[in-house]
Order: sequence, then C-alpha cells, then structure tokens
Amino acid sequence: MSLKKIEQVKADKGFKIWDLVIYGVVLALTAVLFVVIFTTRNTDPLTGVEITVRGEIVFEYEFGGRPKSHSEKITIDENDKGITVTVSTDNGGLNIVYINKSAKTVKMHDANCKGKQCIHFAAIKNNSGVIICDPHGVKIEPIIKDVDSPDIPF
Amino acid sequence: MKFCKRYLLVPVLCLATVFAAGCKSKPHEIYTNIPDGGYSLNDKTFVLSPVIEGHTPSEEEETQTDTTGFTSRRYTFYAMTVNADLIIADDFTKEGAEEKASSFTAAIAAKLLEVEKAISGTVMSSDVYLFNKAEAGERLEIRQITYEVLSEALAVHSFTDGYYNPALYYNIQAYGFGGAYNYPENKEGLPADDLIAKYTDLASHFSDLTLEEEEGKYYLTKPAYTVEAEGETLSMKLDLGGIGKGYAVDLIDKMFDDYGYEFGYFNFGTSSMTIKSHVTNGAYNIGLSSPRSPSRDPFMTVPLRNEKLSTSGDNEQRYFIDGVRYCHVISPVTGKPVQTGIMSATVMGGGAAEADALTTAIMAMEKEDAISFIAEKLTDKKVVITVE
Repeated sequence: MSLKKIEQVKADKGFKIWDLVIYGVVLALTAVLFVVIFTTRNTDPLTGVEITVRGEIVFEYEFGGRPKSHSEKITIDENDKGITVTVSTDNGGLNIVYINKSAKTVKMHDANCKGKQCIHFAAIKNNSGVIICDPHGVKIEPIIKDVDSPDIPF
Repeated sequence: MKFCKRYLLVPVLCLATVFAAGCKSKPHEIYTNIPDGGYSLNDKTFVLSPVIEGHTPSEEEETQTDTTGFTSRRYTFYAMTVNADLIIADDFTKEGAEEKASSFTAAIAAKLLEVEKAISGTVMSSDVYLFNKAEAGERLEIRQITYEVLSEALAVHSFTDGYYNPALYYNIQAYGFGGAYNYPENKEGLPADDLIAKYTDLASHFSDLTLEEEEGKYYLTKPAYTVEAEGETLSMKLDLGGIGKGYAVDLIDKMFDDYGYEFGYFNFGTSSMTIKSHVTNGAYNIGLSSPRSPSRDPFMTVPLRNEKLSTSGDNEQRYFIDGVRYCHVISPVTGKPVQTGIMSATVMGGGAAEADALTTAIMAMEKEDAISFIAEKLTDKKVVITVE
C-alpha cells in the first residue's frame, strides 16, 4: 500500500454513512429474527410424541392413551412411571427413547450412533421441542393437534 | 465444452433420473361416487377414475346456534386396543358447562367399556368370548349391545352377499392377526391351503347363527355346523373387529345429541368417526390418508358435517413375504388376506357400524365388483376407494 493511500485511509472517517446503514439493517434483522423465533415458539404443554425413521411414523404416544407401534422394529417397555421405546433401524442403529409419563417429557436415553449427539439434545417438554438422530434417520417430535382446526386426518 | 460439463451435466442427469423414476411409478387410482365439487384432490400420485354414477346427495343442515364464546377441547380415550379422540366445542364459561363436559366424557368412557365388555374377543366375560368357547348349537343369553351388533352384522352380511363375514375368526388368527401378532416370516410359516379352506367353509355358515329376543332378554344360538381340522372339531368363532368400533361410534353420536353438543367430532382409532359441525367453518375437512404414504398424507379432502364415516385399508396390520402384502382384511371367498388391488375403502353416510362393515366388504371384492356394488347399492352414501 502506498504512503499516499495510507494517509488517505487515516484521513477518512471511521464509519461512512452506508457502513452505518448496513450495520443498522443487520442489527434490526437480528432483533426481528430473535423476536420472531421466541414469540412464535409453540410452548403449549406436550400432549404426545411421535417417532419417525426416515420420515415413516413408527411410534405414537399421547399422554393418557396407550403407546402405538407401527413397526415390528419397535419394542415397548411400559410401567406406571414411563415408557422405554427401543427403535432398531435398518442400518444396525439402535435408539432408546424414554417417555416420562408424570413429567410429560421425552428424551433420547441412549443410542449407538457415532458421536451420540442425539442423547445430548434437551428433553422435549413442550410443543416446540425436537430430537434428531441424523445417522439413524430417527426423529422424535411432538404430536400437535389443533383442536380448533377444521382439518381432520382420517 | 468445459462449461457444459461443469454446469449442465449434473443437473441434466438429475432431471433425467427424476423423470425416469416418475415414468416408472404407476399412479394409484381413486374411484368415487362423490360428484365433482364435493372433494378436492391433494396428491398427484393418485389419479381420479370416472365418477361412479348413482349417488344422491343429501340436504345439508345449517346450524343456527350462537357460537359466541365457544372454544374447543380435546379428550383422549383408549378402548378396543386403539386410542380415540373427542373434540367438543362449547362456551365453557357458561354455568354448568364444565359439569356437562365432565358428565359427557365420563359417559363416553363408560359406554366404550360397556361395548368392549360385550363384544371383545379377549375380555373373558364378554358375549363374544363366551360364544367362541361355546359348543356348536349352544344357546347363550347375551347383552343388548351384542344383539344389536350381530343384527347389524347379519344385515350387512346379507346385503353384501357374504363379502362381510365376521366369522372368519380362524382365518384371521391363522395369518397372525386379530391380536395373535405372530406374523409368519416366510412362505413356510403361512397356513396350508386345505386348512384355510376348512376355516372358510365354517365361516360361510355365519348366516346360520340365530338371534332371538324374548321378554326383554337376548339370545344367540351358535350354528351346529362344525369342521374337522388338525384332529380337532371346530365350531364357529367370531371376530367383530370389523364392526365394533363403528357400532360404538353410533352410540356416541347419539350421546352428542342427547347432551346437546352440536360441534365437534369423535374419531375412534381413525377407523370410524362421527362428525358434527365445526364452530366457525361449518363443515370439517376430512383428509383421507394415503394408504401408501409413510406419513399418511391425505390424497383427498372431503368436507363433511353431521355424518358418520368408516374406513378400512391394507396399510394397517400387515406384513410382507417375498414382496407380497398380507393384511388383516380376509376375503371370505379365498379365506386369505385380500389381494384385490383395493388399498382402502371409505364409506360416508348412514350408520358407522354399517359403514365399518361395508368398507371391510368392499376391500374383499374385486375392483369391478366393488364399483358395481357402489353404483347399485350404495347410492345414499359417499364412497371412495383407492386401487393400486
């Protein structure tokens, strides 16, 4: 860089008007995004969960009802306190999901996937939670039924 | 050339693969007698076949109730091995509304239990359990519920020329269904043809079953016909799984009226359902689930209000052996799981018990027979069938 250029940069203001505009827009967008994410989260209490393996529903449970398996690769161990669901996947994967009936929470208790990131997901406590085991294609998500909706899957 | 290789080769290959896959998969067919405008299609993998003529649309009732302050509530029940959903809408701030809802839900739970105790094949004191244990020709006193369910079953059996047959108990068990859950893993595990023929012969005597009402009491006499199979003398046994949930829905529909609930619905295991009105929309939009979609996406939406409906499909309770699908619906003709190509049947209108049995019967028919049956005999109902 030439000496003249260095002198010119030193003489310039720290921020030009368009720099400030861009920073402002970025900050505003971040704030909006933050507000949108936190105000539109579905924090309704968890009423039930479903487990899917590569998009296919293999298990459903609604608190107060009975666990429903849709696959022979699911084993269910239920007692008064909770339900342990073992999901076997085609690629030799094994995921153990625990449903706490009284606390109405669901967590990935154990898995044999590489990295085991899924067992570090926070337990699902309300309708905004989700747990994903990407290597096995296993996803646990809330069953959300809008009681006011005129649409009924049958 | 370098440009083409870099930017065009991969997208063109991707498009060609998608196009080839699209050409290869044959779309499923939908047959319905609902006139144009009475539904909307949601899935491009289904194609609509020509409308089955003959359906006479019924007049829709409009509700005049002031629904200001109404909110909806959901309750879950468990009966007959499935979960059930109840939605009711009311102004719950109104005096007595909470007590009414509590009384209604308690009454539904009691009614479901009452039906299960009468017709479940696994409840040891049920009429069906005792009938299945009884000797051929034995006469039993039964509950009114069992009498009504069996009266409806006999009526639909006759109406469908035997395509609905709840006496296929042994066949259902032999294929690992009906609570047995011992699905065969290979062809060798499937029941032998001669055994299935004997079971089917026994079931064909379902209409020999006699029902009597005497001085407020109800009686059922088991047919005297028996067959010899695997060294045993077998008498008729029943499985009312194809009509029981529908019957329960009919009772609950009446309870909606008795309690004065005009808004909401009761969905019994997505098998049978009664629909009242939606508070703001009027009609409910019933999304008929695709029998081949793992996530059960709807292929068709039908707006309905104040109707009862039932559905049967080959996607629930099924297994595959050498790529062949074996589902829980048994054909009274072959005695084996249906493989007619009909994937699902939905009947809307009339009673839910009748619709429940009719959908089972339609699943067992060959496609052309099913279409003729719908056109000639189900003119007062809306029917949708899907074909592979």
